[in-house]
Amino acid sequence: LPELVQPASRFREIARGKLGDARIQTALDESTDRLRTHREDAWASLPGVEELRQRAHEIRMAVIDDLDGHVARFTAALEARGGHVYFARTAAEASEYVAELCRRRGAKLAAKSQSMVSEEIGLNEALERVGTKAVETDLGEYILQLAGEHPVHIVAPAIEKTAGQVAELLSAVGGKRVPPELEALTNAARTQLRETFLQAEVGITGANFGVSETGSICLVTNEGNARLVSSLPPVHVAIMGMERLLPTTADLAVLLKLLARSGTGQKITVYTTVLTGPRRAGETDGPEELHVVILDNGRTNLLRGRYREMLACIRCGACLNVCPVYRKTGGAAYSDVYSGPMGAVLLPLLVGLEQARSLPHASSLCGACTAACPVKIPLHELLLDLRRDLVAERVAPWWERVGFTLWSFAWSRPWGYRMTTRLARLGQPLAGLVGPGRVWSRGRALPRFARRYRDGR
Amino acid sequence: MTLVEEFVVNAEAVGCHIHRGKAPELPDAGLSEALYGLADTGSVVLAASPAEPRANSLLPDVHVTLLREDRILPGLDELFAALGADLPSALAIVTGPSRSADIEQKLAVGVHGPREVHVVLLPPG
Repeated sequence: LPELVQPASRFREIARGKLGDARIQTALDESTDRLRTHREDAWASLPGVEELRQRAHEIRMAVIDDLDGHVARFTAALEARGGHVYFARTAAEASEYVAELCRRRGAKLAAKSQSMVSEEIGLNEALERVGTKAVETDLGEYILQLAGEHPVHIVAPAIEKTAGQVAELLSAVGGKRVPPELEALTNAARTQLRETFLQAEVGITGANFGVSETGSICLVTNEGNARLVSSLPPVHVAIMGMERLLPTTADLAVLLKLLARSGTGQKITVYTTVLTGPRRAGETDGPEELHVVILDNGRTNLLRGRYREMLACIRCGACLNVCPVYRKTGGAAYSDVYSGPMGAVLLPLLVGLEQARSLPHASSLCGACTAACPVKIPLHELLLDLRRDLVAERVAPWWERVGFTLWSFAWSRPWGYRMTTRLARLGQPLAGLVGPGRVWSRGRALPRFARRYRDGR
Repeated sequence: MTLVEEFVVNAEAVGCHIHRGKAPELPDAGLSEALYGLADTGSVVLAASPAEPRANSLLPDVHVTLLREDRILPGLDELFAALGADLPSALAIVTGPSRSADIEQKLAVGVHGPREVHVVLLPPG
């Protein structure tokens, strides 16, 4: 899983770059503030929001309790409607299935609508190997694809890009200079991508939800690209994480009420599409073939044990906007796919703690993520549990384990505590010169150690 | 407030143009007939069928949809209850014109779908 494995140094290195960039700090502040305020207003104007969150939590957990049953019911219902279902255990199986489909159809061009799972499985690279060019059609993702970058936010993938940068990227495609003004940029992208929609032999989307009872998939967008991608090309492939299922369309109504409100503060997104099978007899458009790839890719690892609640996540992005760490580092520090508190919990669970061990520490444990989660996942508690696992599995470096053992020995005894504070006061002049104190005091003054905690001096 | 009044307020809030009884004369507009309307969100619900191609409400710059006043439901709960398990191949809940905030978080209208959505309210029956 090259897309998900994170070297321990990645977080620190990328975060340092972002912290030193004043423009990105402003962009992050403004966009996360706006999204957070919009969500708070939308929740406040929704009667019974707390009951609805609780209901949504229960619906999601009931699905996770019987995930195999739901996958089987969804598969049977969609096949009865003439759709194809493929269960992929790994990222490679999923991307090979889609690549083989493109190869069989001789597809030169595939139009894609924003999909986190397709990033997770490295789909674009797999398609390139069989000669299919995959073009992202979500405006933000299209901009990032032109720049050769990855999304940094679930609902606002290109928040770190300026209009000037976007103008340069779009001008390079059309060979004509596009001024850095919103309307001109939008029109240029609309014109460039319209051809993609009309020419693509295969349309690829994710799936916000699946409905087991009816075999339907639900897609939400504001731009309309998911509707175009799933309506115009002769083949539509939707890739869906196996945990995205809901029992009935009545449950879908509950989750839809929370998804857009939590993501962008809208009551509902502009386009909410519920697709049940391919084009039917007599219809003049819609795909002739519909394939749904259900992806495991490590998700069954979470089914047993205390991290199963993470499977309830509906990828709204609300936890990113309130996280004091995400708001400073942005998404790239976490991974090329998932970020923020949900990413910090999910990534180590999908790939193993060893492969993403810096991420459980990317949190102040303030609990803002948990309070913002529409499906009530205790995100900060799960992060703390992951840290516990790091210690238990001895993934932490030896000096860290020795340090904390000594610290806990000293501070569980009054004399030990007094001795360390006395030593700290003596060592005060050195604190800013070496070790963590030096790093910390690079941009600010070290506070003085107090004689006694209560004295504050 | 009646369902129709609530629908009009919410549909106008998301940028729809509302007409009563008669469709506006707009050249090159795509025409559709809505299966339902949702008062709570100001949405129109379109169901694909041989008579209702998906492209009509997707490709043209302007989308005009006809909605009978007695087809307006309170919201999503009532919509899925009314539809039951017999769903069309494609059900689209459309709430205003296509939009994006992907460039500097500023609202742009008409990215991929129609730039204008006109809802024509027709009397019951």
